[in-house]
Amino acid sequence: MSQGQFSGLSLEELSQYKDVWVYVVVDDGKLTKPSLELIAAGRKIADKIQQRVVAVMIGYQLDNAVKEAFEYGADAVLYADEPWLKSYICLPYTRILVEMVKQYKPYAFLFIADELGRDLSPRVAYRLKTGLATDNIDLEVEDYFFGPTRTTYKNTLAQIRPDFATRIAKIYTPRHRPQIASIRPGNFNPLPRQPGRRGEAIRFTPTPADEDFIIQIIEEEKVPKSPIDLENAQVVISLGLGILRDGEGRPRSPREGYELAEKLATILREKYGLRVEIGATRALIYAELKELEGIVTKDRQVGQTGKTVAPEIYIALGISGAVQHRVGMIRSKNIVAVNLDPKAPIFEIAHYAVKDDLYKILPKIIEYLSGGE
Amino acid sequence: MVKGVPARTTGVITVSGVLRREEMDLVMNPHDSKALQAAHYLRQAVGGKIIAVSMGPEPKIVPIMQDLYEPNQESRYVPRMPIYGVDENIVLSDRRMAGADTLATAYALSAGVKKIIDIHADAVKNLINMVESGASAAEIERKAEELYRENLIPNKIYSTLSTIGDSAVKLFAEGKITREELLNRLHSALEDVYNFIIIAGMKTSDGETGNTGPQTAEGLGELLGKLIPHVAFVRDFEIFPDERIIVASRRVGNLVQRLRIPLPCLLTIHTEYTPKIPPASYQKKAKRNGYRGQVKKVKVWDADYIGADPSRLGFSGSPTIVGPGMEIGKPPVQKIVGESLVFERDVDEFEWRGGKYGPFKKGDLVQNLPEELVMELREKNIIGVFTLKHLLDELFGGVKLVARAV
Ligand SMILES: Cc1cc2nc3c(=O)[nH]c(=O)nc-3n(C[C@H](O)[C@H](O)[C@H](O)COP(=O)(O)OP(=O)(O)OC[C@H]3O[C@@H](n4cnc5c(N)ncnc54)[C@H](O)[C@@H]3O)c2cc1C
Repeated sequence: MSQGQFSGLSLEELSQYKDVWVYVVVDDGKLTKPSLELIAAGRKIADKIQQRVVAVMIGYQLDNAVKEAFEYGADAVLYADEPWLKSYICLPYTRILVEMVKQYKPYAFLFIADELGRDLSPRVAYRLKTGLATDNIDLEVEDYFFGPTRTTYKNTLAQIRPDFATRIAKIYTPRHRPQIASIRPGNFNPLPRQPGRRGEAIRFTPTPADEDFIIQIIEEEKVPKSPIDLENAQVVISLGLGILRDGEGRPRSPREGYELAEKLATILREKYGLRVEIGATRALIYAELKELEGIVTKDRQVGQTGKTVAPEIYIALGISGAVQHRVGMIRSKNIVAVNLDPKAPIFEIAHYAVKDDLYKILPKIIEYLSGGE
Repeated sequence: MVKGVPARTTGVITVSGVLRREEMDLVMNPHDSKALQAAHYLRQAVGGKIIAVSMGPEPKIVPIMQDLYEPNQESRYVPRMPIYGVDENIVLSDRRMAGADTLATAYALSAGVKKIIDIHADAVKNLINMVESGASAAEIERKAEELYRENLIPNKIYSTLSTIGDSAVKLFAEGKITREELLNRLHSALEDVYNFIIIAGMKTSDGETGNTGPQTAEGLGELLGKLIPHVAFVRDFEIFPDERIIVASRRVGNLVQRLRIPLPCLLTIHTEYTPKIPPASYQKKAKRNGYRGQVKKVKVWDADYIGADPSRLGFSGSPTIVGPGMEIGKPPVQKIVGESLVFERDVDEFEWRGGKYGPFKKGDLVQNLPEELVMELREKNIIGVFTLKHLLDELFGGVKLVARAV
């Protein structure tokens, strides 16, 4: 039933949709870290509406992953475990998820905002004719008042995502179900593991259809993992275009800035036993400076189109703090900003502000921390 | 498929605070240039033609599309690319399409693409009908020439190019092939119309969703009554014209998948894609499968023309609603090196001029204390200016002890 000229379900129909589903991904028989984060995201919403978190998985040989899902906070697991579903392909996975949704009617369905999630979730949303809010960094539950029909939609998912014009936007899908959203990795902490925690395992047994094999896999190969592990660092020292000039406006080799940061990183690693990585803004990476070739690479990028990090300490050196950068680091517990410009937007979110030349400050920090007392 | 995006969303390097004048214009989404390069590769490899489709307000989109005819020229709207331009441009513009989310956008785009397919199929069907109903060779030739001029049938059916002396209609007129053979070739050309490839950028610089590509594949499948497969974030691909397949690589998780995708299909192209150069042996066939050339006028189509259901367009056809934007919150307390005042040591609750204060902990920010009290405490070195040393002790002091204990 539609609401006047607007597409969507009636309030009565909306109320039939329960449970928060999370689409989790299995690698080598284990749930991936973003999948654990997704269960935590689902938990936050499910607790607010007093429903279950259901982990949904498709693949082959999922027994261990099913167990893990319970231990990390899922109340139920809905899974299709078949040899012909071993590898991800959009058509069969879409078909199966859509069948599951039609049968069980979830209130919300969350995906990870990575290549797989971005390949799969749009198709699922279109086939179900519902909304998809991508790249969320947080979720809330709110009552939403829809002006054109003067209708209040109780307990609507507020899907919170970075937005270039404003800073953060909330997206609502009030009239349709499920409310589909993708969540950027790095924004939720996995729940603590509770060994032995169990729930309801529901096996879904799809029959293969011709369409499932339209696309065929010729081969699959593992990509070597990047040695740079921004997401798991305790301290991230990030560099921006500020490393190109010092406080007197003299050009500096960006290599000099990088090496100072690396020196600080080494001290923190060796003397303090911390996991430290060097990050960068997109502007610095895309500047493709010869001096930083092969060192400041794309896998160091923090922000909307790079990694989302939430370390104990985030040190922003010569970074203006554009919103696209901020959304990738705002969850850091302690943000230290070193910037010449006292009006730089990074200071709006910094816990510690150093309004000075990074080329003056970094050597002082290095000296103090290496000197011991 | 290309999209016009606000210019300010495309700047990779900002000169902080300085806005360029043209930043309010719409320009082509930067990710779409990879899609155009991929389309260019395909045209070189298999012929056909490149039709660019975009949805958006006509006055803002048309200048972008105009410049797509010559992307090797300097342009305000399109990054310069060393490729030939597109053959045709279509803008879907209608007030009813405004305020669309990705679902409604993909619906409009798929209706637009469906219309393009219908027009080309109808042209070939038109000839098929004539041939079947016994029209004379001269009549068929006249119609074929008309369709050829409109860029609706490929060279192998009709062409005035001297390099293509053996187009089907000509051979038939010269009595070199039978009516039946002409029909066979027309039917094969009709099949070609449905062996399309849709290419999209991997996402846009404004919305950043990446939804539109996969959703258009789904939407078009629905309109055609046949599933259209898609592969998103293609980093590398090659077409094999005889098998009518594409072999593409993309990443999912920590895997690189190499996939075999039959036509028709939709690909979205990753920014790391670099086009291949098709083998020279493909050239001749590609030419025969090609069309007359560029149609330099941008066509503008509305919802009625593409047969779109207005209730599925724009704001009313969009399940998602964007709420008001919000500031990202400030931290509760901020300590500024060289400015903020902090307690140098723990202080128990105390009385001062009848008021109660504290307790305070070492490092607490001095906030909302009477000025005279602050002066007094400063003189006693109970509070002091927050220095870099304070900062480092606060952040790493605790860690240091832990590290030592180990
Ligand atoms: C769609 C889109 C996606 C994007 N995604 C990302 C992303 O994922 N990550 C990202 O980072 N950006 C992203 N950006 C780019 C972003 O908008 C900014 O352009 C970028 O973050 C700015 O980088 P920056 O701070 O290094 O450079 P600038 O903005 O140029 O800032 C340099 C700063 O250094 C300061 N400075 C200069 N010299 C010194 C000195 N000697 N000591 C101390 N300070 C100094 C200056 O005061 C200035 O504030 C994206 C943009 C778009 C449009």
